[in-house]
Amino acid sequence: MSRVRLALSLATASLWYRRKVLALVCLTLTLSVTLLFGIQYLRTEIRQSFTSTITGTDLIVGARSGQLNLLLYTVFHIGDATNNIRWETYQSLAQDQRVDWAIPVSLGDSYRGYRVVSTNDQFLERFQYGNDNSLNLAQGEWFGERFDVVLGSGVAKELDHQVGDQIVLSHGGGRTSFSNHTDLPFRVSGALAATGTPVDQAVYISLDAMEAMHVGWESGVAIPGRTLSADTAKDRSFTPDAITAVFIGLQNPIQTFQLQRELNQFQPEPLSAILPGVALSELWRMMGQFEKALLGISVFVVATSLTGLIAVLLTIQAQRQREVAVLRAVGASSGLIASLYSLECTVLALAASGLALFVGAGAVAGLSPWLLSQYGIQISLRALSANEWLLLASVPVAALLISLLPAWSHWRQNRKQGFGSDGGG
Amino acid sequence: MSTRTAHNPSAPPAIETRQLRFRWPGQSRTLSFPNIQLQQGEHLFLHGPSGTGKSTLLSMLSGMMVPESGTVDILGQSLGTLKASSRDRFRADHLGVIFQQFNLVPYLSALANVILPCQLSVSRRTKAKPDARAAGVELLGQLAIPEYLWHRNVTDMSIGQQQRVAAARALIGAPEIILADEPTSALDTDNRDRFLDLLLTLADQRHCSVVFVSHDQSLARHFHQQLALENEA
Repeated sequence: MSRVRLALSLATASLWYRRKVLALVCLTLTLSVTLLFGIQYLRTEIRQSFTSTITGTDLIVGARSGQLNLLLYTVFHIGDATNNIRWETYQSLAQDQRVDWAIPVSLGDSYRGYRVVSTNDQFLERFQYGNDNSLNLAQGEWFGERFDVVLGSGVAKELDHQVGDQIVLSHGGGRTSFSNHTDLPFRVSGALAATGTPVDQAVYISLDAMEAMHVGWESGVAIPGRTLSADTAKDRSFTPDAITAVFIGLQNPIQTFQLQRELNQFQPEPLSAILPGVALSELWRMMGQFEKALLGISVFVVATSLTGLIAVLLTIQAQRQREVAVLRAVGASSGLIASLYSLECTVLALAASGLALFVGAGAVAGLSPWLLSQYGIQISLRALSANEWLLLASVPVAALLISLLPAWSHWRQNRKQGFGSDGGG
Repeated sequence: MSTRTAHNPSAPPAIETRQLRFRWPGQSRTLSFPNIQLQQGEHLFLHGPSGTGKSTLLSMLSGMMVPESGTVDILGQSLGTLKASSRDRFRADHLGVIFQQFNLVPYLSALANVILPCQLSVSRRTKAKPDARAAGVELLGQLAIPEYLWHRNVTDMSIGQQQRVAAARALIGAPEIILADEPTSALDTDNRDRFLDLLLTLADQRHCSVVFVSHDQSLARHFHQQLALENEA
């Protein structure tokens, strides 16, 4: 026991004595472990955030197409709908006994590159993301007047709109559009709080407004004289003929597959019903290769700095011959000397890993509000998984393994080392 | 503290070597050494020109090197029959060592350097009275190391002070034998005489045998025995 204590106290004193050089090595190692660990942490977080882009919704129903396509245009606003579904279909779905709630969604227009989503107040009430988080308004209120628009937080931030601003939506998608709905300007009634999902990157209007805007646009462009003005549109009621998709929440999620099968075989029109969680996982599998490559690179970074560590330790070892000769002469065994080398290297790596943990936790805690508000990326501090602890622990273990190199080289030299540092005379 | 006891003829000699020969790996020249017989409590002066293997002889006496042939008996124990780890333990228990220079572990304080043998050897620790720390402090005082240096980094000390700290380390816990390899070669005459005087006085008090290597023949008169190593023709 006293041997272990002696080795520990000698190693501590020795590390402290060489603190200037070793602090730099430790810093390098800390940074690279932070990188490795940060990437591992982030990829778990981002996968988590990605696969919970939409939660609480049991089925997404749209016109017949593939599941990824339907997911992409309804949730991520990428690409276009293959077709619409009839308003009657939505109504029959909403009245189905098994259906708890249904959010109708109509897409097609855009505002300066952001998708216009026309829906109703069910969207604010029922749509969920992440850990069953609901949508909240950061300012203003949900649309009440017909020509009100609610902005996603990303849109509000990027375009710096305030409640009460007048904006003009464009027909069709794309950043620049030549056909604008100039005769029917919208008033910003509110902005949603940041969610870190594609919800942030869209603007929301009522289904009525969408319908009113497109009176006289049946051919794809405005026909003069047939479009409505704000005044003429005010008192008319508009019921859409068709919408793009419906998000459905069920009374009992057990019935999900039953309803999905029914909808996929729906007689009046061809429909597709998808499970958003399944589709999201499939999408992530396609994109997940990239994060593995990133992790691989960071493993190499750690390996590089461990190699740097060993180079420094071997250099220091050359300067330590006299000190080792003294310890040996006093009766320290070669095993004790070798354990000093291993101990010092391992302690360094432990310190670096501990520091990396602190730096990482500090960075996540400090940056997550900023990341969410600035980039819409949701990352939160959480307990580490077993795999992450294992990854972190692998660094000191690797250091212990590579420290066997100087320890072994000492052991070999030791057989030739005699009295005095010059080895004889 | 023990005072010098009467010579006990039945006690094994401190050092007894026979027919020692040593060859450096990769060299054809073999060093051979005269036999040594040194009783406990007696001091041996070892001199000779460079290259005659003075340090090598000390290395073999300390068990850090193994002779090509011949035997080394320390306190009746044949070193050749011990394993490397046992030789290390034997050295920690029974031998004190002083080098020419660079005697101290640079990252330990003077006092920590002195009590190092007590941490490596139980018998040295038990012989250090009343405890290792007190014995270390007493020795540092006897060897005239100013108190303000005891807890300081040893690299702040003069060569003479460092050599005296090394002597204190060799003496602590009263080992039977002290091996000193030209410990005075970096000191001026005054310091050298004072160092030798202190070392031998304190060694006598503890009934230690001192094996002292030096170029300086004028020191030989302080020793019971002397041995000259010579270059073979």
